[in-house]
Amino acid sequence: MANTHTGTGAQSETLSTNPVVVVRGIGQLGRSFLREVGAMFWFIAHTLDETIDRVRQGRVPFRAASFFQHTERAGVESVPLVGLVSFFLGLTMALLTGYQLERFGTERLVPGLVAIGFTRELGPLLTGIMLAARIGAAFTAELGTMKVSEEVEAIEAMGIGPLRFLVAPRMLALFFLMPCLSTISNIAAIFASSLVCRAYFNMAFVYSIDLVRDALLIRDIITGILKSLMFGLIIGGIACYRGLTVNGGAAGVGAATTSSVVTAITVVIGVDTLYNTIYTIFFPT
Amino acid sequence: MTAPSSHVAELRDVKMQFDEKKVLDGVSLQVNPLDRLVIMGQSGSGKSTILRLILGILQPNAGSIFFKQFEITRLRRRKLQQVRRHIGMVYQYSALLSSRNVRDNVALPLEELTDNSRDEIDEIVDAKLDLVGMKDSKKLMPSELSGGMKKRVSLARSLVMEPELILFDEPVAGLDPVIASVIDELIISLTEKSQVTSVIVTHEMESAFRIGTRMAMIYQGKIIEDGPPEQFKQSNNPVVAQFLSGSTEGPILEGSQDAIATK
Ligand SMILES: Nc1ncnc2c1ncn2[C@@H]1O[C@H](COP(=O)(O)OP(=O)(O)OP(=O)(O)O)[C@@H](O)[C@H]1O
Ligand SMILES: [Mg+2]
Repeated sequence: MANTHTGTGAQSETLSTNPVVVVRGIGQLGRSFLREVGAMFWFIAHTLDETIDRVRQGRVPFRAASFFQHTERAGVESVPLVGLVSFFLGLTMALLTGYQLERFGTERLVPGLVAIGFTRELGPLLTGIMLAARIGAAFTAELGTMKVSEEVEAIEAMGIGPLRFLVAPRMLALFFLMPCLSTISNIAAIFASSLVCRAYFNMAFVYSIDLVRDALLIRDIITGILKSLMFGLIIGGIACYRGLTVNGGAAGVGAATTSSVVTAITVVIGVDTLYNTIYTIFFPT
Repeated sequence: MTAPSSHVAELRDVKMQFDEKKVLDGVSLQVNPLDRLVIMGQSGSGKSTILRLILGILQPNAGSIFFKQFEITRLRRRKLQQVRRHIGMVYQYSALLSSRNVRDNVALPLEELTDNSRDEIDEIVDAKLDLVGMKDSKKLMPSELSGGMKKRVSLARSLVMEPELILFDEPVAGLDPVIASVIDELIISLTEKSQVTSVIVTHEMESAFRIGTRMAMIYQGKIIEDGPPEQFKQSNNPVVAQFLSGSTEGPILEGSQDAIATK
């Protein structure tokens, strides 16, 4: 009846200006978001549970060879990418801040600035984003393909816990590699900034390194490492979870891989922001 | 609660549905020791679902499932994993791990579930691969094998833990008639030699009658005929008769989506 003024019923439905519809939509989004988060925690908890269960039976949770295979692929082969990107970013950052600070005669702050920026923030964040794209995607695609071709089910049918067998070594590899790779990222950026300082601002190499040493606090380093470990767990967890919950064949694997990268990067940035906020509230300066 | 332990596996009034779709609607089935039970039925009738239920990979909506004295539907994860070691499964597309070569695929259950040394594992793997005639292909990757070879490796993998029950999901689908006969012969000889019970899902009639010591036909979520092969040949159930003859005339297509194609 009321629709006669605004047009046909169908039109007013597509506009969905009805607040009830909008609220219901938000509610549904929120609910599926919470469901996803819950499922993720469940997934990580079950992986831990299966792994610990195995250790309690007095057996190794997975073979060292399997772990090192993943660390090699995820870690060693990521070094060039992480190193190169961080090097260039460090270079840019030193150049841009250097020219600004030079006007006030404080360009010797540059090495410390880059060092703190990278150790606390950019190192873990950049490494996380790169690993999510490079390794998270690979894990999702790999596990997704195994799921689609019934390999995961076959493993389960043999009486082997697929979470322990497939997920645990991958997550552990990422967990331990993240701090190593973000350290490499930090070193590359600091090295790049010292190069810039020497070439443009006339600072000796050792002098820049001294400045870095003065500026960096233990607490910056610990923050960086904590973040890296957290990001490793997040990326590994999301990648494996998305992989093992694939359905719908090859298209499903593609969709899951995209979603894995997007989710992992978003969550990493979100958690980073949350961490920084909490940190600055509880430990100001 | 307690199952008569004379059955190797048993389904009791099992109901299973995916979302709105009823797949099994009160299926009861016993697998006796040393049976080679052939389960037949149309595509999508729930044959693979029955195998997954026996393995505890799917949970039924109602009813109970036993493997020997264990009620699969009530086992906790760790116990279920132990029970699964006594059941072998051969998947339709073999489900070999594509990142491992033939030897490592067959060795996988031994490496993960037993304390055998590497030498002992190698010995068992060699013996099982020899049984299926794949001893010379140990170093090959699954992508380098033909469908029939994959099936044989998968068969060897299902045998390494000395299971008491082996489940075959369409063991000869997609294979040429000669290789299909080879696989049939292998199933017969291996189950006889190792004294294991088996459940074989198939819709290849020739292979079904060659392998089966007992047959069951599933139609519209129920077991409509269950007995020795001779009983099936003489069955006057119109569904069974139509299925065996492969005719388009009969109750199976009536009202189904596929019927449109025949008109
Ligand atoms: N995980 C699942 N989710 C939703 N539906 C499913 C799932 N597994 C099976 N089904 C549905 O259940 C029905 C029975 O599947 P099942 O694989 O057991 O059939 P089948 O008898 O083995 O058929 P085929 O001969 O084609 O292998 C199918 O219609 C299928 O669509
Ligand atoms: Mg099937």
